[in-house]
Amino acid sequence: MSGALKDAVGSYKQKDWPKHLVILAFIIIELFPFYMMMQVSFKDNASFIQAPWLPTPPFSVTETYVDPAAPVSAAGVESPAERVKQRAARWSEVFSGEVAPPRGDPTFREGELRFDLGVYKLNNWVFGLKLIGPYIANTVFVAVTGTVVTLALAILGAYFFARYKMPFSGAIWGAFMVLMLLPGVANLVPLFTLLKDLSLLNTLWALIIVGIAGGQVFNLFVLRNFIEDLPKDLFEAAEIDGASHFKQIVNVVIPMSGPIIGTLAILAFLGKWNDYLLPLVVMRDKELFTLGVGLIYLDGEYVKNWGQIMAAYFIASIPLIVIFLFCMRLFVRGLSAGAVKG
Amino acid sequence: MALPLSRQKALREWKLYFFVIPSVLLVATFSYFPAMSAIYHSFFDWQGGDNKQLIGWANFKRALGDQVLWDSFKTVSILIAFNVVKMIPSILIAVLIHRLKSDRAQYLYRVALVVPMIVPGLVTLFIWKFFFDPNLGVLNNILDFTGMKTLLVNIDQFFGWGVFFDNVPVGWLSQPELILPALFIWGFPWIGTVGVLIYLAGLQSIGQEVYEAAELDGVGPFKKFLYIELPLILTQVRLSLILLMIGTLKDFGNQLLLLGDAGGPGGVGMVPALWMYNRAFIAGEFGYACSIGMILFLFILGLTYVNNKYVRVEK
Repeated sequence: MSGALKDAVGSYKQKDWPKHLVILAFIIIELFPFYMMMQVSFKDNASFIQAPWLPTPPFSVTETYVDPAAPVSAAGVESPAERVKQRAARWSEVFSGEVAPPRGDPTFREGELRFDLGVYKLNNWVFGLKLIGPYIANTVFVAVTGTVVTLALAILGAYFFARYKMPFSGAIWGAFMVLMLLPGVANLVPLFTLLKDLSLLNTLWALIIVGIAGGQVFNLFVLRNFIEDLPKDLFEAAEIDGASHFKQIVNVVIPMSGPIIGTLAILAFLGKWNDYLLPLVVMRDKELFTLGVGLIYLDGEYVKNWGQIMAAYFIASIPLIVIFLFCMRLFVRGLSAGAVKG
Repeated sequence: MALPLSRQKALREWKLYFFVIPSVLLVATFSYFPAMSAIYHSFFDWQGGDNKQLIGWANFKRALGDQVLWDSFKTVSILIAFNVVKMIPSILIAVLIHRLKSDRAQYLYRVALVVPMIVPGLVTLFIWKFFFDPNLGVLNNILDFTGMKTLLVNIDQFFGWGVFFDNVPVGWLSQPELILPALFIWGFPWIGTVGVLIYLAGLQSIGQEVYEAAELDGVGPFKKFLYIELPLILTQVRLSLILLMIGTLKDFGNQLLLLGDAGGPGGVGMVPALWMYNRAFIAGEFGYACSIGMILFLFILGLTYVNNKYVRVEK
C-alpha cells in the first residue's frame, strides 16, 4: 500500500503518536503476565515477597554483616564466618539444586553490594525441566503424530470431494458438514465410555485418534475449497502422463497447496498442544500425562514454590516459541484465516 | 467445482472411495457414535457400566426441577454478558492499528498481538490463577501498592457489602461474592488475538474512497468510527459475538481449573457444562449427564441456527 493511500485512512491532521501510545499501553498490560512469569521463574518465594515486581538485580546485598545487638535468630546460622562460607557455597548450590538460605532473615543487615549471579535461582529451571520434560515429550508425540495424520487423511478426503462428483459424495459431504453444528461437549461422556470399551483409556493413542477424528471436518472443508480452485489443466496433464490419483496428490496437490497446509498444520498443532479436557478425562498414569494434565497436577499437588512453577510454565511454552520464531508469517496469517472459518 | 462423472466413469474410478474411507470411519466412530449414544443414554438411568435402566423422560424432568442447573444457566448468561463487554478493547485496538500510517508498525503490532497465543492457554490460565492468589498474588499486591485496597474497604463500609476488610487479603477465588468479579477481571485488558485479527481483516477491506469522502466532509475521528468503521465490520463483530456466545456456553475448562469441579465456594461459578462434567465424573450419573448435555446442545443448536440464518460471512 502506498503512503498516499494510507493517509486517507487516518486524517492528515491527526498525529500518529497518541494511537501508538494507546496501543502500546494495551499491549504492555497484555504481556504483563508473561513478564511476571519470566522474572518470577528466577526467584524463590522469599525473594519474590521481597521484590515482586522487578527482576532481581545481579547483586547480593544481604548477609554480609549481622547486627551485634540483635539476638541470633533460630535460622541455624551461628557465626559470621559460617555465613561467609555459606555464601561461597551458593554457586555450587545453584547447580546442585539445594535451597539457598532465606534472604529475608531480619538479623541480616544489608551491607556491601557484591556482584553475584547466585541470586538467580537456576535450579528452578532444572527442577521445572525434570518435572515437565516427560510431559513435553508425550505432548510432542501426540501433537506431531496427530497433526501429520489429520492432514494426510484430510488431503486424501478433500481430493476425493474436489476432483470428481462421485455417486454419494454429496451425501457423505453433508454428513461431514452436519458435524460442524454438533457441539463436542455433549459427546464427552459417551466418548469416555467408548474409549473404555475399546480399551484405549489411559493411552496416548486415545488422544491421537480422537484428535484426528475431530480435526477432519474443518480441514476437509478448507482443503476441498482450496483444491477445487486449483487449475484443472494440471490434473489433466498429470493424468495424460499416466499418474495415478495418489501420484496426482503427491505431485500436484501438495506442491500447489504448501502455504495452506502449513497454516492448517499450525492451527492443528496449536489446538493439540493446548488441549487439556480430553487428557484430563482419559489419562491416569503419571508417565503418560500430556502437558495439559501435567500442568494441572503441578498446580494442585506441590507445595507452591512459584519460582519453580513459573519456570515449568515457561519451559512448557518453549516449543511453541521456537515454532513461532521460524514461521511467524504463517502464524499471523493462519490465525487470521482460522478466525474466519467460524 | 468438482466435475460430475457419468456412472460408467465413476465405476472405473471406484478406487477413489478408498481416499475418503479412513475419514468416514474415524468420524463415524468418534463423532457420530458418541453423539448418538448421548441421545440414547439420556433416557436411561446409567452409571457408566453395563447396567442401565430405561426411565423415559425422567432425566429431563429432573433437569427441569434442578435448581443447580438453572442457576448455572443464570451464571453462564452473566458470563456471556461479561464477554460481550470484553469484546470492546479488541475492536478499539483493531481500529487504532488500522488507522496507523506506517505499514511496518501495523505489522509489528500484529506480531506483538500474536505473542500471547504462543503461550499455552493453560499457562495463561494458571498465571492468572497466581495473580488471584490471596497472599502472594499480584492483584492484591497491586491493590495494596496503589492504595486501591483502602478505597475498596471504604466503599465496602459505605455500602455494607462485608466483602473487603483491612488487613485481610482479598480471596478473589475463595469468597463467593468475589468469584464473578474475578471472572470479569480475568484476562484484563481483554484483547483477543483472533478477534483483533478478524476485525483488522474486515477493516482492510474498507474502500479508500469511503475515507476520502469522509475526509472531504470533515468527519472527525470518532464519527468516522461510528459511521464508517463500525458498520462495515459489523459482519465480523456479529460473527465473533455468536462464536463467543457458543464458546462461552460450551466452555467449562476455566471454571474447572480456577474454581474446582464444584464451581467454587457456594457453587457460584457453576456453569451448565461443568455441571454435566460434575454429574458424570464426580457423581457417576452418566445418564443424567447425557441429558444435561442434550439440553445444552439444544441451546447451542439454537445459537448456531441464528448464526447461519442472520450472520453471513462473505469471503
